[in-house]
Amino acid sequence: MDDFTLFSIGSGTMTATATLSKDRIEPRYSAWERLKSNRDWLGFWFMMPAAAILLLFLAYPLTKGVWMSLTDVKIGRPGVFVGLENYEELIFFDKTFLYSTGFTIIYTAIASAAKFVLGLYLALLLNNNLPFKSLIRSIVLIPFIVPTVLSAIAFWWIFDSQFSIISWALRKWGVIDHNINFLGDPILAQATVIFCNIWRGIPFIAITLLAGLQTVSPSLYEAATLDGATKWQIFRHITYPLLTPIIAVVMTFSVLFTFTDFQLIWAMTRGGPVNATHLMATYSYQKGILGGQLGEGAAIATAMVPFLLAAIMVSWFGLQQRKWQQGSKE
Amino acid sequence: MSADMTKTATDDNSDGMSYLETTRTKLVTIWLPLALICFVLLFPFYWMALTAIKPDHQLLDFETYNPLWTWEPTFKHIQKLLFESNYPRWLWNTMYVAFAATFLSLICSVLAAYAIVRLRFRGAEVAGGLIFLAYLVPPSILFIPLSTVIVAYGLFDSPLALILTYPTILIPFCTWLLMGYFKTIPFELEECALIDGATRWQILTRIILPLAVPGLISASIFALTLCWNEFIYALTFISSVPNKTVPVAVVNEFVDGDIFRWGSLMAGALVGSLPLVILYSFFVEYYVSAMTGAVKE
Amino acid sequence: MTTNRRGFLKGGAALGAGAMLTASGLTEYAKAWAQSSQWKPEAGATINLLRWKRFVQGEEDQFIKIVAAFEKATGVKINVTNESFDDIQPKASVSANTGVGPDIVWPLHVTPHLFPDKLVDMTDVADYLGKKYGGWVPVAEAYGKSKGKWICIPVAVNGGYINYRISSMNAAGFSKFPDTTAGLLELCKAMKAKGTAVGFALGHASGDANAWLHWLLWSHGAFLVDKDDKVIINSPETVKAMEYCKALSDTFIPGCASWNDSSNNKAYLSGELHLTANGISIYAAAKASGDAKQLAIAEDTDHAFFPLGPSGKPAELQLAFPLMVFKYTKFPNAAKAFTAFMMEAEQFNPWLEGAAGYLTHCLNAYDANPVWTADKKRLPFKDAAKRTLPISGLGSIGEKAATAVADFIVVDMFANYCTGREDLKGAIAQAERQAKRIYR
Repeated sequence: MDDFTLFSIGSGTMTATATLSKDRIEPRYSAWERLKSNRDWLGFWFMMPAAAILLLFLAYPLTKGVWMSLTDVKIGRPGVFVGLENYEELIFFDKTFLYSTGFTIIYTAIASAAKFVLGLYLALLLNNNLPFKSLIRSIVLIPFIVPTVLSAIAFWWIFDSQFSIISWALRKWGVIDHNINFLGDPILAQATVIFCNIWRGIPFIAITLLAGLQTVSPSLYEAATLDGATKWQIFRHITYPLLTPIIAVVMTFSVLFTFTDFQLIWAMTRGGPVNATHLMATYSYQKGILGGQLGEGAAIATAMVPFLLAAIMVSWFGLQQRKWQQGSKE
Repeated sequence: MSADMTKTATDDNSDGMSYLETTRTKLVTIWLPLALICFVLLFPFYWMALTAIKPDHQLLDFETYNPLWTWEPTFKHIQKLLFESNYPRWLWNTMYVAFAATFLSLICSVLAAYAIVRLRFRGAEVAGGLIFLAYLVPPSILFIPLSTVIVAYGLFDSPLALILTYPTILIPFCTWLLMGYFKTIPFELEECALIDGATRWQILTRIILPLAVPGLISASIFALTLCWNEFIYALTFISSVPNKTVPVAVVNEFVDGDIFRWGSLMAGALVGSLPLVILYSFFVEYYVSAMTGAVKE
Repeated sequence: MTTNRRGFLKGGAALGAGAMLTASGLTEYAKAWAQSSQWKPEAGATINLLRWKRFVQGEEDQFIKIVAAFEKATGVKINVTNESFDDIQPKASVSANTGVGPDIVWPLHVTPHLFPDKLVDMTDVADYLGKKYGGWVPVAEAYGKSKGKWICIPVAVNGGYINYRISSMNAAGFSKFPDTTAGLLELCKAMKAKGTAVGFALGHASGDANAWLHWLLWSHGAFLVDKDDKVIINSPETVKAMEYCKALSDTFIPGCASWNDSSNNKAYLSGELHLTANGISIYAAAKASGDAKQLAIAEDTDHAFFPLGPSGKPAELQLAFPLMVFKYTKFPNAAKAFTAFMMEAEQFNPWLEGAAGYLTHCLNAYDANPVWTADKKRLPFKDAAKRTLPISGLGSIGEKAATAVADFIVVDMFANYCTGREDLKGAIAQAERQAKRIYR
């Protein structure tokens, strides 16, 4: 918020200088000097570009979104203020909204937990001294660097209801006698998209945790091994505590991005079958952009904010443990 | 291979545990799970590549042809993609938007990170906190109001809409990463320069930036990946076909009414992924060590 | 001038329906047409046209020819953009709101009725075409007119009907396709028992699912709203339709709930599916493929009208493609001239033929187009524009009807019940609630 106070003071000084400069040159010069050398001023100018973009394209739309959610604005037509009507409608009458909220929570919970466990496991595996280390790491990273939609399309094809290669393989081995209805059965479709999200998320978590693991000094392990600690004890009492701060950060982001996921669902199911895989984000697109009800769409999006605040709180406690990124060096 | 493994297992002293393990247990506890995970992680890409080169008549016929392989690869789909569609244009759009947005974000982030870490102006901590908070506001909350804002600014259906909105995703991350980097550069260097009469600008461009090159590289790689991957803004703000980016175009453009052209679709997905994969294959070590640097602090 | 025009009109008629003109011939003709046309394009006009993405390659090829001939004859530059049909409406809405965008938009269904005041009055074009080509079918007037004025030109309708494999139907003990809903259910049961799968889309397939489920609803005499836009979905007729749908869906191949518009095409062309509801694109694609297996499937395929339900009247929903011109365009005359030009027999006939049955005319005179006689399997599609109701059913055509369809209210009502996600009452109540919110 200091930015704003600085800015108003700044413009005040500027106009004062401009009127004065008509008859005297001195104050202008000193004001310029002040601008150049003063720490606060310099800080203000350095922050300007980032602040401008974030204010115009983030803070302003965020506020506007909240406002829109209180109106009945539609595509192509301005709206009038309707109070909390959109929210009432969503919460009390719109079953699809409730389903999608519920599924968003389940989706986030299952996928994040699985990504964490598997990601940590993979990181521990990769932390061994392996031949072709960098090759293996590149391979592991591929799902993360390939744009989500593009891999989602491949999955869509893999999980097709009639031409799934998985169904084909299982049928060949005699495990099943008919195709698995991956994306046509609500529960199976939910499981399938959760699987794809896990698949997409593991590499980032694994590589980041691997980076964390490499900062743990090997001498700690050696000492513990000499003391006769088991592998589990070493992990539990040395690796895990040292990793906690980075786990907190990574998991906050993971939860956040899983919760607000859009593209995976959009490319694979568009929310189907029978709206079973709608996340809040996809439902808000369906309502707001395709259905044209911008107000309701904005209300759905805004309804995500409380959940995000909860995620921020979690991250805050994670950060507390380690004075992380506070601009000061203690 | 196995000799190689034994060698590393015995020679290894950087990792505390592995020298206790024999090759056999290592095979079961490390290589087997690793191979399994890699298989699952890579299979979709194999499938993508295979579909891209399969002739059409083999695509839906699992009885006559083994679906896992093809003996008659065709480059028809890829050729069609590159020479008979807007694909090169989309690829160009994606790159153009990604590079421009990354460049813009880096400038903003370098200035912001330097100011927060080194100028320590009044409110620096709050500014740092706010930028961090900005990272926690994802596009799927913003796209509806932002679309009206974009229309109001007259940016609708222009690449500029993406170039200006992507930095809202990139700046927080890049700033965060660069702050970590700038902190590792000793204060003394800067103090000497200040005494010698250098301005802050000179210090930033002549001293700090050259030392932070690895950080800049990893920030730009990460930013490029995010741009390439972005979907919802591109879907909402871009309307005309020639202006689309690869992810959006691939989802929408390889459909003739109700016929999907799977071959071209997969070829499009594959070709769209390649530039990033190539980029990463050069920089993966960089990336991991940069992350290590960022989390080490 | 007048004589000139008459002579030319006669010449045009003499060419006969469906006469294919060579490229140079087309240009010559276009020049003559432009000379005599009542709409004189503005000098230096450039028109941006946004249209739905083609379904059939042949249609687009013909369309490009028409555009090229018009450009050559008049000097007007036309930039064509294609967009998948789900995306056109939001884009048109934004353009209407901001006053920036394509001059001509060729969307679906009721899009023009979302912003009738922003559109150029096309009454002169509609009257000219109607007079010359045997009049408009009723649904075209319904889609085209707002407050007595034509706000768009309903160029064509895309018909969706039953696609089935003749041999599988015969094997199931039917020698001809049933013409009642009860018969259809018997056929589906018999086909399933024989191991020849049937299936209709229950997912958010804006073409297929909307078409067949609206038919199902309407053919049972049930409607979302009545003629005064009062919501009447909660009715005994709806219950009957739902129960019928449930019974029918029990015969479906797994996966229908996830189907989009392309899924049944794919399954049918691979030989896995033997009966479905779709446009003619399956048959057209199979015939155009040149692949022996696909040709055999095409040979064995035929089309049938949606059977009559308890209401006893044909009541179908087909996609309409109206073409509209925004008022903000600087070149309204060029836009009108192009619209009239493309609907003249010399252009429209080859275009219909190029579409191979995928598109059905809204002007009666085009009943004579050889596309309907050259291949008898296309015959049902000829009447698509005559049999369809507007998308609003009985209600008024406008924004509310468009929103109800965009929200998939009817599709989700059936799908919710058929997949067991909701019980009968719950599914209808949910649809009623959604509809009431839109039609309040």
